[in-house]
Amino acid sequence: MEKRIKRSDEPIWWALFSAGGVCFAVFVPAAILFIALLIPLGLLPVETLDFERSRSLLFSFPGLIFIGAVICLPLFHAMHRIRHGLHDLKLGRDKTNKIIAYGAAMLFSVVALLGFVLGNM
Amino acid sequence: MAKHVGYFPELKRNWWLKNRYFMAYMAREATVLPLVFFIVCLLAGLYSLLLGPGSWQGWLHFMQNPITIAINLLALGASLFHAATFFTLFPRVMPLRVGGRAIPAKWIILGQWFGVLLVMALFAWVFGRGM
Repeated sequence: MEKRIKRSDEPIWWALFSAGGVCFAVFVPAAILFIALLIPLGLLPVETLDFERSRSLLFSFPGLIFIGAVICLPLFHAMHRIRHGLHDLKLGRDKTNKIIAYGAAMLFSVVALLGFVLGNM
Repeated sequence: MAKHVGYFPELKRNWWLKNRYFMAYMAREATVLPLVFFIVCLLAGLYSLLLGPGSWQGWLHFMQNPITIAINLLALGASLFHAATFFTLFPRVMPLRVGGRAIPAKWIILGQWFGVLLVMALFAWVFGRGM
């Protein structure tokens, strides 16, 4: 009889956590600085993000890389830390927290990618 | 199976407040909270781009709200704090060698900060084109 070895799924979450950690450290600071601070504060002209221009920037191949590096991977990083933070604070049950945390990361990643597809139609 | 009879101290919920290293650990865990806020902002921006110029203007207006700016400023600080801890960790986890000689940790850390600046320069170039 063949015996199935039950393998842990943890390496997947840790790999996504570290990939997201690199993005959070290298790509996210620039994204926050330009999109959420310099342009809203008027230190760069607001036309930098005018409608047509933003559409063509985001719904392009570099835009897809942006979504992966600034939205999807950092989301998995964030939700992994939230899951472990909840455990550290002894809040909830880890089994449930795990499903909610990674489920949310997956859901929002799909929402972002769906938005990208819609923008290219 | 033998029954556990040893002493098991119960960990209290506020264990991390008792030592500044534990507090630094929890602060780093908390860096993702403003990050999640920024990501939600971006997702809202993405969908307002799909909805049309009116929604996009609304989103730009929302990004100019002082509270939004304050939280995003916190997110920038959090991302740089995370980067600082992450970059120091890298040469410890994966020491690099060139020609049999170890590259000093300081150089690896500086190299990573250079990467951050390079990405900022890339953003400046992309946003500055044709302006």
